[in-house]
Amino acid sequence: MSLCREVVTLQLGHYSNFVGTHWWNLQDASLCYDPDMPPGELQSDVLFREGLTRGGHVTYTPRLITLDLKGSLRTLKQEGSLYSTGQEPSTITWEGQIMTHKESPPAKNSFLQDLDKLDKGGLLVEPDFNTPSVPATHSPGGMVAMDTVNSNLERVHKFYKMEGSVMVWSDFLRLHLHPRTVSVINQYNHEGEAARLEAFSQGETLLQGSVLEDLEDRLHFFVEECDYLQGFQVLCDLADGFSGLGSKVTELLQDSYGGRGILTWGVAPVNHPDSSPIKELYHMMNFALGTVNLANHSSFFCPLTLRGSLGRRPSPSTVFPLVNYDSSLWYHSSSILALALDSMTVSYRLRYNSAPMWQLADALTVSGRKVVCAYGSVPFPIMQGTCLPDALSACGDVLPWKPLSACPELADGRCFGQSVTLKGLDRQRLVSPLAPGIQPSSTLHCARTGEEVLDTYIRSHYPSAPLVVQLVSTPSKLTPPFPQMFSSLLDPQGLIQRHPPTTAAGPAAVLAAPVLTSVQSSSAVGQMLAELQKACVSVEMRRSAPSFLCQGLEAGDLAENLEQLRVLAYHYRDDSGGTLRSSSEEEDDDDVD
Amino acid sequence: MAAVKALNPKAEVARAQAALAVNISAARGLQDVLKSNLGPKGTMKMLVSGAGDIKLTKDGNVLLHEMQIQHPTASLIAKVATAQDDITGDGTTSNVLIIGELLKQADLYISEGLHPRIIAEGFEAAKDKALQVLEDVKVTREMGRETLISVARTSLRTKVHAELADLLTEAVVDAVLAIKKPNEPIDLFMVEIMEMKHKTESDTQLIRGLVLDHGARHPDMKKRVEDAYILTCNVSLEYEKTEVNSGFFYKSADEREKLVKAERKFIEERVQKIIALKNKVCADNNKAFVVINQKGEEKYTFIEKCGNPRSVTLLVKGPNKHTLTQIKDAVRDGLRAVKNAIEDGSVVAGAGAFEVAVADALVKHKPKVKGRAQLGVQAFADALLVIPKVLAQNSGYDPQETLVKLQTEFKESGQLIGVDLSTGTAQDAVWNWQHMKIIFPAFLPLQHGNR
Repeated sequence: MSLCREVVTLQLGHYSNFVGTHWWNLQDASLCYDPDMPPGELQSDVLFREGLTRGGHVTYTPRLITLDLKGSLRTLKQEGSLYSTGQEPSTITWEGQIMTHKESPPAKNSFLQDLDKLDKGGLLVEPDFNTPSVPATHSPGGMVAMDTVNSNLERVHKFYKMEGSVMVWSDFLRLHLHPRTVSVINQYNHEGEAARLEAFSQGETLLQGSVLEDLEDRLHFFVEECDYLQGFQVLCDLADGFSGLGSKVTELLQDSYGGRGILTWGVAPVNHPDSSPIKELYHMMNFALGTVNLANHSSFFCPLTLRGSLGRRPSPSTVFPLVNYDSSLWYHSSSILALALDSMTVSYRLRYNSAPMWQLADALTVSGRKVVCAYGSVPFPIMQGTCLPDALSACGDVLPWKPLSACPELADGRCFGQSVTLKGLDRQRLVSPLAPGIQPSSTLHCARTGEEVLDTYIRSHYPSAPLVVQLVSTPSKLTPPFPQMFSSLLDPQGLIQRHPPTTAAGPAAVLAAPVLTSVQSSSAVGQMLAELQKACVSVEMRRSAPSFLCQGLEAGDLAENLEQLRVLAYHYRDDSGGTLRSSSEEEDDDDVD
Repeated sequence: MAAVKALNPKAEVARAQAALAVNISAARGLQDVLKSNLGPKGTMKMLVSGAGDIKLTKDGNVLLHEMQIQHPTASLIAKVATAQDDITGDGTTSNVLIIGELLKQADLYISEGLHPRIIAEGFEAAKDKALQVLEDVKVTREMGRETLISVARTSLRTKVHAELADLLTEAVVDAVLAIKKPNEPIDLFMVEIMEMKHKTESDTQLIRGLVLDHGARHPDMKKRVEDAYILTCNVSLEYEKTEVNSGFFYKSADEREKLVKAERKFIEERVQKIIALKNKVCADNNKAFVVINQKGEEKYTFIEKCGNPRSVTLLVKGPNKHTLTQIKDAVRDGLRAVKNAIEDGSVVAGAGAFEVAVADALVKHKPKVKGRAQLGVQAFADALLVIPKVLAQNSGYDPQETLVKLQTEFKESGQLIGVDLSTGTAQDAVWNWQHMKIIFPAFLPLQHGNR
């Protein structure tokens, strides 16, 4: 019997919610409501909960708590609309005068308007004459096929050019949330000049009084209904004051639910609107303080960003060969991170033989090395009609993945442990077909399972590192509102076409993509942390940004935190003196520290 | 200024007079927004967001938090209100009104050439005097249930309508009295506020015990248990991780299965221990045994009539979220008002009576202050009168006429006089707190003074 080990997700901050929204859209797109279909490889109950409205309707919503600031919701109702009773607002508590202040509703973009139409049971009419419109599916027996938002969005191959119209995350949220999910912090503004949540310590002091009570209430609600809670996945903004809030939140989780996994992903956009040198300094300090504290209170902490580095000086953002994304658009960059995250979290979401969160964390964070880094090949480059060994051989000496944690690989073949996942490649494509009488072109072509192929390949780059590989054939479905930002070389399945499309037809929408990711602990992390620490220590905060310190954070605390960061970086020092260690020596090392 | 420009090239720089004007207009802007809230005859505000979220409130602090304040001075004032709310749970609207009025009065003198520093000096002198007056007029007495009910009612009647306020009043006072321990500070965390959505009913009741917002673990469990042993614990009774480490790089399915078995055994032993305990305590009686452990939607468990409840629950029922939130906010404020009254041991008369008395004392005190700082004292005295004026205005009376009546009556009788909101005339405030029950904990204006 496979038992469902539930996960509660927390999204702290606006960019976290951008990544989270894309992530939940991907989850929602892969839900299958057809009872005749075989159960999928991933168990959606791990992330979703079943509920019942007071009207008796069954709901299926994310087990999710999101925190954001005042003014960040726009068209989204905090309570959501699933559980609303549709009553007129009554004011039975007051008999005197009542003054109503009504904000005019913000305009919804075309995607949200279409979602509303679908909710009301309407069909999306195809205004585009170029694509042959699919007739409404009335099956011959007179039975009306069940229309779900999923099938509708898949059928309507409509390009929503949302790049210009996405202002906040709710502008591209395609699923309904539970009324206890969205929490708005009223003390700080989402935009504007005054009352901004900019410094680590502001966020730290926020988690008390009503904010704390509210969060605890929400946590209890979602946690207490779980039978086998395996832990929490926390997405937390690193650049602003949310890094401080996240530190306190993870501390609360650690105190209240010790023994469960707390996997924390510190996300940061490539750039912020109207930034300035002083704000960049704030960001860097928040990165440093957030990393130390989040790592302290989590099972593991992984930065997740397309930035080139966490330092102050701008560095080129990560480039993916098959994606043309605009790094300044949060809507774009967050979608890539979400796609990678969908692959990196596979191990604890599998229906069969899943390895719970804490196993992933324990395996990667030996000897106090709580910070790990992520790499991703998004999408994984593979030609139509070829197989995994072909694709891997085509990469040559270079690993196909790019840094997702501002932590470039050192290519020295050393690593303390890694978890590699390939998601979205057909079973048939995993191994090379054996042709009798022909010598296989490489060792990869000899392997008889996909796991073996990947294992052999990774071990050729990391000869002695503990490694676990995971393969899932179900691809992430990139239905709207996932941005269409892929190279025109890709076909709808995300494979590279043999013959580039003629310009007349125009590129077809990419609806799925294979993704290869790796989460690893290596000395590259230590180097990144050490650089961050050096950059922070070199700034005299009392002179350059005194206001960073006046929020309850003393200069001494700051120094102490930076010292902790230095120690953390020291843990990654590889003192094997150039000789490669065997994995048994590695295990002996576990007791040190 | 150049430094500011260097730091933020987009910063607007305003100098002296202009800067002052900007700050004053911000303060008065807030004052205008909150003015109509004050008192039991104030206006309820319903805020509807663009997406349709509803917030119903008369609480100055809640309102300030809902607004997106973009002006630095205004957000500073909002912080003062928050601080006030954190400590006293009430008086935030008065707070903002007085700040706005202080700046308005100061502006009059500054426009005639007085230096702001001298005004500030006058304000300081006036504040010290005002605190003295507070000591003189406050009434220290036994905080019996009746007095506490008056205190709670004063707070609650400005937040919800009279009938509901009276219902909440008793519940709030009894809740605090139930958890109060002699010679110890009152811990309001011992009063749990629990909400329950109910289609038609709007009711609040005090449960001398606990209400848990989840039901039984299994549908076949008893719905009602009386006279029982209760084991409360906070341990996991689900299969979960044990201290067995890392099976991630496991070698085989067998190895994995072994780990899982070891994990399960640990929990089973725990459950056996609980059963053993039950058998021990229930061996020779018919008492029931209930295990409450930290664990469906919209179901509740009541643990009532406890012999010695250290913790009580206020169960708030209402038809929708915004009603529930509003009642909960009101209950919280009421709880803190009662707590403050008990801990402070004294009360002062409300309905503007205290402000009239202080203003009068300040005017008498003025000649003792040296030089032009006298003007600051006068400004302070005038500013305090905004409270009775707005109270009268919100009830539909002429503010100036009412104020003159109050001041005359006060001078003639020498007793505290407040606004009678049903007639707009002056009334004996002492009589007032004995019969009309409009009293505040003395703590409250003290906070204004300490600001």
